[in-house]
This record gives sequence, structure tokens and C-alpha cells, in this order.
Amino acid sequence: MIAYTIRRLLTVIAILAVMSVAIFSITQVLPGDVAQMIVGQFATDDQVKAVRGRLHLDDPAHVQYLRWAGGFLQGDFGKSMMMDRPLGPLIGEAMARSAVLAGISIVLVAVIGIWLGVYAGVRRGTRADRFISVGSYFFISVPEFFWAILAVMLFTGYLGWFPSTGYASLDEGFWTWARHIVLPVATLVSGLVAHVSRLTRSSMIETMQAQYITAARAKGLPENIVIRRHALRNALVPTITVLAIDVGLLMGGIVVVETVFAYPGLGRLLIFAIEQKDLPMIQAGILVVTAVYALANLAADLLYAFFNPRIRYGSSAAH
Amino acid sequence: MAALPLTEATAAYRRAWPASFVAGGTIFGLVVLAALFGPLVAPFPYDQMDIMARMTPPDATHWLGTDEFGRDVLSRLLYGARLSLLMGLGATFVSLLVGVPLGLTAGYKGGRIDESIMRAIDLVISVPPILMGLLLLSLSTPNVWKTAFAVGIIYVPIMARLTRAVTLEIAREEFVLAARARGERLWYILAAEILPNAWPPIIVEAALRVTFAIMLGAALSFLGLGVQPPSSDWGLMIAEARPFIDTAPWVALAPGALLCITVIAVNLVGDGLREILDPRLRKGRG
Amino acid sequence: MSTEVPVLKVESLTLEYPAGGGWLRALDNVSFEIGKGRALGLVGESGSGKSTTALAVLGLLASEARIPGGRILFGGRSLLDLAAEERRLLRGERISMVFQDPFTSLNPAIQVGRQIAEPLVLHRALSDGDAAIEARRLLEEVGIPRPEDVARAYPHQLSGGMKQRALIATALACSPELLVLDEPTTALDVTIEAQILDLLERLRRDRGLSMLYITHNLGVVARICDDVCVLYAGRVVESGPTSDVLYAPKHPYTKGLLASLPRVAERQLRLAPIPGRFPDLASPPSGCIFHPRCHFVVERCKGEPPVLSGIGHAVSCWRAEELADTPWPAPEAQARGARSAAHPDAAPLVEMKDLAKQYEMGGVFDNLRFDRSGGFPLRFDPPRVRAVDGVTLDIAPGEVLGLVGESGCGKSTLGRMLVRLIEPSDGEVRILGEDFGRLSGKALHEHRRIAQIIFQNPDSSLNPRKTVGEIVARPLTLFGLARGNELDAKVAALLDLVRLPSSYASRYPHQLSGGEKQRVGIARALATEPRFIVCDEAVSALDVSVQAYVLNVLAELRDRLNVAYLFISHDLSVIAHIADRVAVMYRGAIVEEGPAAEVLKPPFHPYTEALLSAIPEVGRSPGSSAGRGRIRLRGDVVEKDGLIGGCRFQHRCPRKIGKLCETEAPPWRIASPAHRIACHIPLEDLRRADAVRLPQEA
Repeated sequence: MIAYTIRRLLTVIAILAVMSVAIFSITQVLPGDVAQMIVGQFATDDQVKAVRGRLHLDDPAHVQYLRWAGGFLQGDFGKSMMMDRPLGPLIGEAMARSAVLAGISIVLVAVIGIWLGVYAGVRRGTRADRFISVGSYFFISVPEFFWAILAVMLFTGYLGWFPSTGYASLDEGFWTWARHIVLPVATLVSGLVAHVSRLTRSSMIETMQAQYITAARAKGLPENIVIRRHALRNALVPTITVLAIDVGLLMGGIVVVETVFAYPGLGRLLIFAIEQKDLPMIQAGILVVTAVYALANLAADLLYAFFNPRIRYGSSAAH
Repeated sequence: MAALPLTEATAAYRRAWPASFVAGGTIFGLVVLAALFGPLVAPFPYDQMDIMARMTPPDATHWLGTDEFGRDVLSRLLYGARLSLLMGLGATFVSLLVGVPLGLTAGYKGGRIDESIMRAIDLVISVPPILMGLLLLSLSTPNVWKTAFAVGIIYVPIMARLTRAVTLEIAREEFVLAARARGERLWYILAAEILPNAWPPIIVEAALRVTFAIMLGAALSFLGLGVQPPSSDWGLMIAEARPFIDTAPWVALAPGALLCITVIAVNLVGDGLREILDPRLRKGRG
Repeated sequence: MSTEVPVLKVESLTLEYPAGGGWLRALDNVSFEIGKGRALGLVGESGSGKSTTALAVLGLLASEARIPGGRILFGGRSLLDLAAEERRLLRGERISMVFQDPFTSLNPAIQVGRQIAEPLVLHRALSDGDAAIEARRLLEEVGIPRPEDVARAYPHQLSGGMKQRALIATALACSPELLVLDEPTTALDVTIEAQILDLLERLRRDRGLSMLYITHNLGVVARICDDVCVLYAGRVVESGPTSDVLYAPKHPYTKGLLASLPRVAERQLRLAPIPGRFPDLASPPSGCIFHPRCHFVVERCKGEPPVLSGIGHAVSCWRAEELADTPWPAPEAQARGARSAAHPDAAPLVEMKDLAKQYEMGGVFDNLRFDRSGGFPLRFDPPRVRAVDGVTLDIAPGEVLGLVGESGCGKSTLGRMLVRLIEPSDGEVRILGEDFGRLSGKALHEHRRIAQIIFQNPDSSLNPRKTVGEIVARPLTLFGLARGNELDAKVAALLDLVRLPSSYASRYPHQLSGGEKQRVGIARALATEPRFIVCDEAVSALDVSVQAYVLNVLAELRDRLNVAYLFISHDLSVIAHIADRVAVMYRGAIVEEGPAAEVLKPPFHPYTEALLSAIPEVGRSPGSSAGRGRIRLRGDVVEKDGLIGGCRFQHRCPRKIGKLCETEAPPWRIASPAHRIACHIPLEDLRRADAVRLPQEA
């Protein structure tokens, strides 16, 4: 298990290293002059030159990369072109706010999605199962941004229960904070719960057909113990992988949701950077998100290994 | 031994097309027809403004009302169908075109080739999907083709992994070994022995990808990274209608609803295909 | 039979599944009973309904099944009238079951000890601690060494034989009155099967267990069952005491099954297969369900279904009495000696010299290791497995070389190297004197034509998207052997060679039965007019009656076309039946090789001896073999690659003579000019095989 962890960690580091090169080199292969693009078509040569100097664009590519990547390792994320502020704190704050959204969402997705999936899978073919299946079908087919708009329309427009946009910190009181976060979280969670519940359901159904389930029944175990002790654990192992995939989808959702609800998180910052062509911010933002995603995947892999004795204990111990 | 005729029992197991496939296929067919011929039957040009009739609710002239520039929502919807479907189908096509050959090669050849292809794919997968789109689209002016391409690239890993998994399974089948034992060429084995048996799950996955690509394409347009005004797909229409959601909700609801209906239809087609193509569901005898 | 209430009595049980709008009758009027302490064998081929019967007894049928008639009495209590909850409490407590596949019957996520303890906690209300102690005792009782370690292990850490022992321990936990076993040894190697059968015999003796033993293997029935009940297509065709049914069968189907069995002792004869195929239960034939395949069919059989009649030895056939002494007809016996026997002096067709194959385990990332001994700290050091380890063998033109060994011994790898599906890592293969490994281009193409292969699994050997005609025609076009109109004629001729009508050319594989598919696979291999065919477990996946048919086809082709076979099988009876020469393989190497008749007689390699003694075979009744003293191997095949020195069989050898076996590779003992044995034991001792008394379960 320790060797496995180390190996997975090395893989993550390798992926990040390669990704940093990829992200960096996109700026190199871009058609046209980056500095020109930043300052705009009508800028003077001096302005362009100033930008080039500031970004060290005249250095050889590998020197530029090493400076950039080295800065990252020392916690120096560079400076935003447009806001002229260090990116570290900027991204840090935004990320903390996004993490709140993501954290609450993924917990809800896991708990509700798995529960619904198991509930439906065990009751395959019943009315409850069909209701859940049709419901998840519907939820999985509606894009987040449309949910977001519908939610705003209903809950702020007609009912006026929640503020439509913005963010409140916890200092402004729990309820104010919570009221700002309900709609974004609900929007994020809707599609993913459907996704997780559908896959958990099919995994549960498959597990219930395994031979060891029949063998467990042949021992005379009551059905609820067969499900809880024998089926659940094996059925949930693939769900861990599904949750890891959903972390990726969740990040996409966060970009959309933060834009719609004007929630000042990392996603909105990234869209802002792209609109403003703030190159250092784009690079730093994408690298940070990639790192977070890689770590989430690492966590999923380790969890997977933990629940799967085949990986946790190598083979052939008791010969 | 007497030649036994195909028993009636076998015929009885052959099922009719599943209802979900028929229903989804019909709806999706209508949307495709609208995309192909919509601009011909649309009551107005999609970009014709009418300052006098801004944000009129649905009525006899404008069946689905008009937007903030007085443009006819129905006409824009029909026109937008083209772009939205183009992104969905185009992206899926790109992912198939790149992913299937990669997966076939990796799965059949194995060894170092497999290892390097799969490691490259791990890299692409290590970026969350929407960010990949943002990355690819952020640095030049987006248009519908670029969006379709970017979304397609995002789905290459999924296609390649699936194809590889299926290929690995089929490559172990004894009829493939028999082909190798008689010295068949690589292309024959891939094209005539493996691919015909591999495509059912790939097609089912492709249907699912179409839905995801339509939604992701719309989301990117919504974020301003897809189709650019004045032309418009459903995602951009919703984005443009967002500020007026309280006063003129129909401008956003119409494309949103159509988007959802299309996605549900394609999902139904995918489920139907799964039922038709899954040998476990199809095989009556055993 | 005594008057006491039987432990299990099944009366006229009928069971149906929904299918295509109607009901498919899986069991029809099935009746049998098991007295206290007795073992009943429920025998039948695939689809006969034997597993369904077991599930019905346990009350574990799929919910869509319905039972329109019949009763199941357990100690006089009608099980079908009990509430679901009452039946559940009987399961695992008074009726237990052991399933076919030990590899999937244990929960992979739970420690073995806890799985065994489960019924004890449930039915006996033991505390977890007491149950764990009892679980260890049970593991010991089923013959598992170091039960503490096994109890703590997860299923994937155990071998198949150990898993099955653990499952038997689970079934025994609450001392049930009835043990239902569904093909408990089918997934295991024959030497492991023998150990498990010994164990079951001992348990039955010690605990007075009653058993319902479900199997397709008549040999197993002969070994451990008192009574037998033969099922065909969900109907009981014959039942009675084992000795009566197996040695004086009355029903044509039973006679046919027995005539289909290849036997070590009677290797000269052609087998007598049952023609036709299994009936479609959705539209069963009228009258006697067996009549379309029966050799003795008369008009009455087609109209009236016969009833099971007779006391003790009962049979369901209209003509049972008049046919009492008529055996199932064998095909016209072709004397085997008549065909041009392979000339021992003729230049060999295939020569293997020091052929070897090593595999590296795992991917690149799995095998990076830290190395602190200096130098670059990361090392790429994959463990190697020697699948085939220096094999030297010849095959003469027209000769059948049987290659026998247990799963994982490398026999398939060896076969595949001969047709270059796998590239050898060492040594060479010569075909017609040419180094096959060095050939390329045109010459390789030509040699691929000469050497062909037939595979094991009929469901996977044909491309489901092609018609039979396309499948058989492809090699013809590839090698330019026929074109145009000629092609159809050639395909028809090839199908005829394997006894299939030419109309089959337009069919798809899923429209064929298993045996038919396998014959199409043979026709495809024959299309290139090969001189040599590797038959890789070519009949192992088939039911006995079908297997006999395919074996006959193969034997006939060898005689007519003078093709040589490397016939690979785990089943020594099949090998003994078809092979001219036999090579015995163990962990990558040949341990004994010689003419079939000599290999099957002493002197034996200890491993060959163990294999022979492990085969449960009809005709070698328990009584006669008991007197001889059975040879049993210790443990399972050792997985670790521990071939540092000595004999590769040393860990399991019942005749290990000492240090010598651990340190030095055994020499070849030459028993006769064509017969060699790799063993340290001198030939004189090996010759006395029968006289040597071996301790049982060492």
C-alpha cells in the first residue's frame, strides 16, 4: 500500500510537470505576437516592447519556462497583467471560495447519489426504482447553466427566497452566507446526483447478480444483511471512480455556476482572465485547477485501493 | 445429422425495436430536419431586427415571441439548431475519428505502443473537461468549428479507452488468434475481425457523447467561448436572454427547453441502441 | 431401502421460466429421494436442469420462476409450503450448498474466516470470537494447513482448491443434514479434484452427511455417489443405485453417454457419440423428449411420452426391457492399426529444440523500484515467469502427440509458439526442417499454411459477424487455393469433411450448437490443407456426447488426410484415447514422454502416476481402486518461481527421495527407446509403481 501510494504520487508529479510544459508552450505556439495580442492591435511599438520586457518574452523559451515553473515551486504565481497584482493571494482567495462550493457539493452528490442508486438498484423494477430512474434521466439531460437560470427565475424572481447573485462571507452571519450558497450548490448538485445514482444503481444490480451473493443467501442470511455486508461494499468500489470523474465535471459546473451567480470564485476569475487575455492569470489558474484535479484523482485511487483488498494486500500471502 | 431449420423459438426472441429508440429517434429526427431545412421554413431571417416589436410575448406573428432586438425567437431557434447539432455531432465525429484508431492500435498492439498511447491519454484526462475547452479556446477567437473540435478532443480519451478495452477483449477471442495464425495482415484483422465486433459499445457511447457535446458546446457558447454573435446557437441565445429573464422569460426558455428535449431524445436513442446491440439482452439461447 | 423418512424427497417437481411470451419448462415431473447418510448424483449435460433443481431445493430460484406442480419434502416437511422466512432459516443451518465456481463464490472484500463464521453467528448465535475459533477448526477439518493464516486471508490470496475447501467449511459450519454440491470440482484441476473428492468422502463418513451431488461427470458419480439420477432436458430418464445405472444402463441416453466417454483403459476404440442436438425447451419434441436423437426410436416414442417406472432401478423408456442387453451402437469400428502408422524413422515434421518462453510481469510503472545500493536509484526490474522452460519434442508426419498437464503448466503457450502466435524467447521450432522462427515474407506465409491451430471455446472461435461460408472460405482466398465457383464447391467439401451439410454455409455462428461451431473451426483449419494442427483443448468445452463426436471427426481426418496433431488437453482420458504418443508437462517442462501405451503403464513419472490415479473414471469402481492405494499430490501448484535448483515437481511429489530432488535437476531415465522419464528415482523403482504403498493425505 505504501509502495502503491508512492507510485501514484510520482505519477501525479509527472503529470503536473508535463502539464505545466503543455500549458506554458501554448503561449509559445500561438499565432502572432503574444505581447501584441495583450496590448491590442493599435498599440505603439514601445508599448509592445514594454510588455515584452515585462514578460521576459525575449528570453529563450526554456529559460522563460524555468523561470515560470520555478516561481510556482516557490509560491510565486506571477503577476496579473490586467490588475497588476500578485496572483498568489488573488487565486488563493478565489480558490477558497470555490472550494466551499465544491466541498459541499461533492459531499451532497456522494451521499444523495449513492443513497438513491442503492435504493433503486435493490428495488429494481419497482415503482420507486422507475421513479428514480426517470427522474435522474431528466436531471442528467438538463445543462447546469439552464438549471441556474430556471432557479434564478423561480426562487429569486417569483418567490424571492434567495439572492440571485453575489457572495457573502461567514462574517456576515451564517444565514446570509447560506442564502447565497443554496442556489449555486443546488444547481451544481442536480446533474451530478443523477449521474452518480444511475451508475451506482447499475453497479448495485450487477453486484446483486454475483455468485457470492447467491452463496451468501445460501447461508440463510436475511436479505438486508446480504445487501449491507456483501453487496454494498463491492458495489461502491466502482462508484469511487465515478466520483472522481464527477470532480472533473463539478469543476466545469463551477465555472458556469460562478458566472451565472456572479460568485467570486476561481471559475469566474478564470473566465475573467480569458476575456481579458490575462495570460499569466490563465496559465496560473489552469495549472492550479489541474493540480487540484490530479490530487482529487489521487485521493480516489487511494480510496479505491483501500476498499479493494486485491490492491491493498498483494496476492499470494497465505500459501 | 439432419439440418435443423431455425426454430421458431429463436425467431420469437428477436425483439422489436425498443420504444425508447423509436421515440427518441423520432424527436431527434425532427430536430435534425429542423436544422437542415429550418432556415427555409423559418418565418423570418434569424438576424432581422424589428425595433418596434422588441420582447413581444408569443403571438400569431411571432409564435415564440421576439428578443430584445425584436428578432423572431422561433427563427433563431431553427437556425441555432444547426450550430448546436453541428457542435454535438461534429465533436463526436472528431472524438471517434481520433479515439477509435488510437484505441484499436493500443488494444491490439499492446506493449510499449499501448503504454505510450495510454500515458498520453492520461495526460489529456488529467485536465478537467471544461478547462481543456477553455485552454484550447481561450487564446484565439472562437467559432463553431473550433468549439466542436475542442469538445471533440476532450472526448478523445473516453473513446480511446473504451475502444481499447473492447479491442483487448476481442483480440483475445479465438477467431482473432485464428486469423493471426494464418498470417492475416494487420489491417485485415483490425478492420474485418475486430472492428465489426467492437462497434456496438462504441456506438452506444457515441450517442452518449453527442448529448454531452451538445451540452458542453452550449455551455461554452453560454460562456462566450463558442459561437459568436450575431449568429447564435441555443447556448448563446440563453446567455443573451439572461438579463431579461424576468421580463421576457420566453426568450431563454424556448432554446433551453429545446436543448433539453434534444438531449433527452439522444439519450433515449442511446439507451435503445444499448438494448438492441447488447448481446446479453439480445441472445435468447444459451 | 429402509422405512425411515428420507432426508430429501422431490416429488413430480415441475418448474417453468417465462420465455418469449410463453413458459419454458425447465423441469418436468422430476422425482428422487435421498436417504440419511446417502449421496445421490444428479447427472446431466448442460441445460438438463440439474442446477435449477439445486436452487429449487435451497429456495434460491430467480423470482420469475414458477412451480406449477410437485413437492419438495425435507425430512417430511414440505419446503414449498413454508414461508420465505422459515426457508431462509433452514438454509446454511440444515441444508447447505457448495457452488460450482470457487473463484466467484467467495466475497472478494471479506476475510475468509469471517465468511465461514457468518452462518455460525447467524444460526448458532455464537459470539464473533467463538465463531472465529470454530471457523479455524472447520478450516482444519477440511484439510487446510495453517488455518489461522487462511482465516485472515482475502479470497484472492488463495488458490482454487483452497477456496473450494473454505466454501465446503462454510457449508459444514452448522452441521447440516443435507449438503447440496453443484459441480464442486468442475473448475479445478484433476489432482485438486481428487483431493476434494477424498475430502467429501471422508466428511460423509465422519459426519453421516446426506449429499445431493450435481455433476456432468459420470466418473465422479461412480466415485462418490450411492445412487444416481440421470436428467435429460429437465426429465428424469433413469435412476437407481449407481452400480446398476452405470454398469447396466437401461435408458438409451444413459447408454449413449457412457459409450461417449473416452477411457484410459479402452483406448483403441472409436467412441459412440449421440447424434443430433439438445432439444429447444421452448418447443420440445412430442412424445419421448429424447426420441429425435435416439438410435432405437420407434413410432410409439414419437407420440406418447414414456413414464418413469421400475422399483429401485427406474427408467423412462418404452423399449427399456427389450433393449436391456443391447448397447448403444458404435460407429463402424475402424481398426486403428490398419492406417499407415507413423514411421518412427521418417524425418520429423515438427521439431522443438530447447523451446522456452519467459514473461515479464506487470507494466513499466509497476516495476520501477528504488535501489539504494548506489548508482541510479530507480531500477526497471520486472519479475519473470518461465511459462515454457526448455522443451525438446518431435512430431512425425501423421502422428498425434498428446500433451497433457494441468492449468498453468505452459501447454497452451507451447502450442501457440508452434504456430507463431507467441514468439519464443529461446530455442527453435523447425517445421519440415526449416527454422520457423527465422522465416519471413513468402516462406513464412507458406509455413503458416502448413501449421494450423484449433481452439477451445466454440463460442469464441468463430467471428459472430461472418457466415460459416465466409469463415471457411477466407483461408482459401488468402492462400489462393480456390476462387470463383470453385470456392463454393471447396467450402462444401470442407464442411462435408467435418460432417456438416453444405447448407450451413449461409448460417451465422449463433445459429449453430457448440459441437457444430467446433467443427466449423476444424474445417477452417483444414482449409489451408495443413500438414500439422495444434488442437488446443479442442474438445474440453463440449458436453461428453458432443465431445465424442468431435473426437471421432478428428481421428477420422487424421486417418484420411494424414495430418499430424499436437493434441493439448488437461484430460488424460481424452489424450489416452486419441494420441499415438504422450508428453506430460509440469510447470513449463516435459517430465515424461513416450508412446501412449507405454506412458499409461509403469514405469511412471510420479506426476503421471498421480494424474492417472486422480482421474475419476467409470469402470474403475471405488472398490477396486481402494485396494491399490491412491496417489495424492500435496498442496497446489506453487505459484512462486522457485526453480532455483532441483526437480520442478519436488514440492508436490509424493515420492520425493530427499535432498537430491532439491538440488539437482533430474536426469532422463530411458525406459524404452521411445520412452523417457525425468526423475531421480531409478527405473526399477518406478516400475514397481503398483507395489508401492503411499501414505494417504501426506
